[in-house]
Amino acid sequence: MRTRSANILLALALIAALGLLVFWLLSMPRPLTAADIPQHTPDVANGERLYHAAGCISCHQPSPELKDVAADVPAGGAPLHTPIGTLYPLNLTPDPETGIGDWTDLQFVNAVMRGISPKGENLIPALPYTSYAHMKPEDVLDIRAYLAGLAPVKSPEREADITALPLIRRGVGLWKWVGLDTTPWQPDPGQSESWNRGSYLVNGPGHCQECHTPRNAFMALDTAKAFEGGPHPEGKGKVPSLRGLIERGRYTDAADLASALQYGEAMGYDKLASGGMGQVQRNISQLPESDIQAIADYITSLK
Amino acid sequence: MVSKISVGLFTAGALALGLSSAAMADAKAAIEARQACMKANGAMMKVMVPVIKGQAAYDKAAIDAAIAASQKACGGWADWWGDDTKPGGAVKTAAKAEVWSDAAGFEAAGNAYMTAEAAVQASTDEASFKAAFPALGKACQGCHEKFRQAD
Repeated sequence: MRTRSANILLALALIAALGLLVFWLLSMPRPLTAADIPQHTPDVANGERLYHAAGCISCHQPSPELKDVAADVPAGGAPLHTPIGTLYPLNLTPDPETGIGDWTDLQFVNAVMRGISPKGENLIPALPYTSYAHMKPEDVLDIRAYLAGLAPVKSPEREADITALPLIRRGVGLWKWVGLDTTPWQPDPGQSESWNRGSYLVNGPGHCQECHTPRNAFMALDTAKAFEGGPHPEGKGKVPSLRGLIERGRYTDAADLASALQYGEAMGYDKLASGGMGQVQRNISQLPESDIQAIADYITSLK
Repeated sequence: MVSKISVGLFTAGALALGLSSAAMADAKAAIEARQACMKANGAMMKVMVPVIKGQAAYDKAAIDAAIAASQKACGGWADWWGDDTKPGGAVKTAAKAEVWSDAAGFEAAGNAYMTAEAAVQASTDEASFKAAFPALGKACQGCHEKFRQAD
């Protein structure tokens, strides 16, 4: 009898150990390697454009403590409140100690497109690498080149206020199996060039779906309900649907939406300032008119 | 004796109920007044923006009428922000808690709006109207960004 219960205990311990091992293996970061990074001569102007399209400044804005730093410098450190705790987004200026000056291109691409820090840890998906994963690596390298040209700012790195952060990071690794789709963005040859440009900007750098698409039980984007809107990620209010914007009478046509994205509420386009969309709209307004029109062409095609 | 007590209790209860529903009616009236004010401001934008975009001719009388309608609808503004009109209260509102937690910021945003509106009202021709308008649009935008909830 005793040997039997000892055997059961041993079996249970083995199962638990095996479970831990499987968890450990499945939650390991799966980075890109040097072979995945194309040979590329960086285009800084394109990098600046994509930096705005990706909305980097919305989260990487300077901490309120950095009084001498302009609000449009991505020095990081301003608290970002999420349902799991407060994050202090990284300093994106090329300061070698507190910024990303020391990072290699591969480290940068892995952080942006795979959510893996240079130390090999999984990053919390408040950084929308789930969308950036669809970007062209060349565009990510261009953003890197643009950031490398900014004036370095000292902005001390601050660890996130999240309970059991190392375990959460491992959990994120496991979650990436369901939540991180690394398929590169594909054009639709049946659509116009502008529509395809819009589709890329919206689904890659623009990461619109992160808020405008509801999530399933695994907190992964529910792609069957793409762009249908959902609960606000900060926990209060709702994010509106982007489907049928013209059919529902929100905008008269794609040009009207383009104008709304360019000027926002300053030109009387209601509901483009609240819930964080004000920052998004400000970023979009930095893009060339053709890109804004492309975004509008794509969004208004969503029925 | 018993009936006296119960009459007393009943009266007190009815009074309390009456008072609380009166308070709720006040909150409801205040929030509805805020919404009517915003609606008037929205209507004002619909008169001004087409002129800015070049889709409508400049019409000083129409602009002045829209501003007057907004000022009439928004007249009681300062009295509409009682604690019982905060988000999460009995009456639904799109105002954010920051209206009360950052009262100084909210007042500054309101003052920026008033200054911009006065400048538009003082404009006398198309050129001066077009020069004054952007500050007004920015005032709407800036206040909604900080103090209005997402849908």
